[in-house]
Amino acid sequence: MMNTCYHCGEELPSPAVHFDAKEFCCQGCSNVYALLNTNALKDFYQFEKTPGIKPKKGRSDKFQFLDIPEIRARFVQYEDDHIVRICLSLPSIHCTSCIFLLENLPKINPHVRSSQVHFAKKEATIVFKKEGFQLSELAELLQFIGYEPDFGRKSESKGTKKSFLLKIGLAGFAFGSIMLWSAPDYFGITLDNLSFRNFTAYLSFLVSLPVFFYSANEYYISAYKALRSRSINLDVPITLGILALYAQSTYHIFTQQGPGYMDSFAGFIFFLLIGKWFQNRTYQSLSFDRDYTSYFPVAIHRVTATGSEIIPIEHLQKGQRIFVRNEEIIPCDCLLHSEEAQIDYSFVTGESELITKRKGEIIYAGGKLMGMSIELEVKSETNRSHLTQLWNETKDKKEANGFVRYQDRISRYFLIILILVALVSGIVWSFLDPSKIMTVIVSILIVACPCALALSSPFTLGNALSVLGKNGLYLKNTNIVEALDEISTVVFDKTGTLTDPSAYHLNYSNPDLAVDEWRILKELSSHSTHPLSKLIFTNLFATSTGIILESFKEWKGKGIEGKVNGSTYLLGSASFTKVNSSTQQNGTVYFSKDGQLIQEIHFTSAFRNEIPSILTQLHDKKKYVLSGDDQKDLETLVSLGFQAENCFFHQEPKDKALFIEKLQASGEKVLMLGDGLNDVGALGTAEVGIALSEDMFRFTPSSDAILNAQHLNLLPSYFKVSNYAKRVLKICLGFSITYNLIGLSFAISAALSPIVAAILMPISSITVVFLSSTLIHIKYWKQL
Amino acid sequence: MGMIYLMLIVSLCIAGFFLLFFLWATKNGQFDDDYTPSVRMLFEDEPKLKDE
Repeated sequence: MMNTCYHCGEELPSPAVHFDAKEFCCQGCSNVYALLNTNALKDFYQFEKTPGIKPKKGRSDKFQFLDIPEIRARFVQYEDDHIVRICLSLPSIHCTSCIFLLENLPKINPHVRSSQVHFAKKEATIVFKKEGFQLSELAELLQFIGYEPDFGRKSESKGTKKSFLLKIGLAGFAFGSIMLWSAPDYFGITLDNLSFRNFTAYLSFLVSLPVFFYSANEYYISAYKALRSRSINLDVPITLGILALYAQSTYHIFTQQGPGYMDSFAGFIFFLLIGKWFQNRTYQSLSFDRDYTSYFPVAIHRVTATGSEIIPIEHLQKGQRIFVRNEEIIPCDCLLHSEEAQIDYSFVTGESELITKRKGEIIYAGGKLMGMSIELEVKSETNRSHLTQLWNETKDKKEANGFVRYQDRISRYFLIILILVALVSGIVWSFLDPSKIMTVIVSILIVACPCALALSSPFTLGNALSVLGKNGLYLKNTNIVEALDEISTVVFDKTGTLTDPSAYHLNYSNPDLAVDEWRILKELSSHSTHPLSKLIFTNLFATSTGIILESFKEWKGKGIEGKVNGSTYLLGSASFTKVNSSTQQNGTVYFSKDGQLIQEIHFTSAFRNEIPSILTQLHDKKKYVLSGDDQKDLETLVSLGFQAENCFFHQEPKDKALFIEKLQASGEKVLMLGDGLNDVGALGTAEVGIALSEDMFRFTPSSDAILNAQHLNLLPSYFKVSNYAKRVLKICLGFSITYNLIGLSFAISAALSPIVAAILMPISSITVVFLSSTLIHIKYWKQL
Repeated sequence: MGMIYLMLIVSLCIAGFFLLFFLWATKNGQFDDDYTPSVRMLFEDEPKLKDE
């Protein structure tokens, strides 16, 4: 059995932390265990095995900004003299035990009154006593037990979802009630009792009013918008049908000819709304449209004459001095005032090597500071920085290049045919029996109302969306399923997308190092949290080093110093180890003994294993690589299966977006696969922009879909799913048009009666829903 | 025949009651979260102190 931490399940280091006869990987985990134990919350470990999250070490004043009234007010939902209610996004919620622990927060800290978790949204609504407890203390408590709140995420309002449910409820109520008391009418029982017939007819009219004016209003609005922009979507024939249906029925009721088609009308709206509801079920805990504010910190330290103060990021002004500390994000384009700074731009450029800036150089926003605190002078405000400009520029492009849904494309022809049929039958009937012209034309509009047609698309695509979600690709909405099928070109970003950010090839310059020195190297690297030393640690074998360090010291962002048997060992950058090496470069770590260089370790990024097989499977699509790096990887790319003329290097973020526009201008439908902020423009420009993410709930650039990096090998299968969904969609459309034709034959022969409509409409809708769901789920009932 | 009017009114009232109940439940947030409550009910209650 592997030895894992009792709290978080991570592999145990040696020596492990022992507490209460259990083993933990770090002091943090054991602290959380102790806290839970003293508060009788041991059940936490009963629901799932090793449910805990390794708590991250944070600065104690990390959440100080929450106590500034202006910022605090942004998060607080409700506040009176005694209590405060706040809703926090906690991205690390992942299992049953999380719910247990968070909902028992009042037991851990008596200041917390109550706590309620919303699992799907990964949120917790917490009420705490105002007296003697600050919001920052709550955030610290949550961080301590492993759930660091994400203050960048804004919770969406629930208002729209609620009003949508109300609409469905009202339509369902009207549908059921009207059908119940129309039943006698269907069988002609009421013909001899006109007063009863009229009574039910007026009642039906009354009940259908809210359906007509409230439940169905989205369709009128959408149709009106489409007509105003001189285009036609499916909502136009739907609205036409609704109006014909409602006008005809109202006329019948008030001329006392019977209850009309009110039952079909209410049922129609009910089914349509259910289809819409199904289509809108997306992923609550993912956010696709993050704007730049969720990436940057909420508040920053400003240097004042008397010291420093915390201000909200919006209050930053050009020329002000600010103070950025280790592992904080540079909030705006700045001038460096300190001597030197190490910046990690991995999320902006995809490049994982640290970049060194010197005094007087400009540091662009978005990087993360590694190492000593620095002082900066603001050159431009956050919303004007290089990064956010790029972000905003591409934002509106997508909407302009307008994607037309399949159902909207066919609805144009549908409408033309409909009007033609109505005209021709009108003319024919003017010879046969002119008194029936109106009845026939209105009947045609009623039965042609594309209910089944309108349902086939949300159900087929909605089912495809959930199939894709089960397999690691999370789409923003159902339109993307259709767009995915039309893709002819796939563009890859290199760093972080084709390469695996966590996998490196380590090349040792001196493979014949003495065994003891290998051990010292491993021991030294085990004590550092720097990504490169972690890599060295996991790359070296030997389970236990058995080395005892006499002393140990780490300089953040520079290196590590350790003493063993009287010798001083240094591990770190060239300047830190003070060695003279011919190959001084980034991405190399130096290891020295008493000032003598004994080992150089080169890191080169490794490409993901699945790339060649993906490329062969995508044989029918053009494939490009856009890289911000130089050409050093060209040979590797070609050996993976790319064509040399399709690989482009030195691509700035803007070039990437322009390149995709050029492809689009030559008629290509482009899918962009990227991971960093440097791809934001390209992701926004492409027909489908997929953000690759190692951790689903971490920050991703705004995109149409988020792909879990573990499932990258399924990329070709996603195209197959979308292609199959499109075929199912066509089959369903065929079915619904058949039903419409049957209805039309009744309407043209002036034989449409409420009972025919009442049977035809639900049957057609239910077949289509059944067909689309089974066809998709039978084929993809198990994982791809 | 008078009976059927009464039945009609009664059926409408019952349906109306359920509609109102649904509206109340929606407004009250009963449909906000369809997963967490199913887990929450499985947690053990506090053992009551015996000497009370």
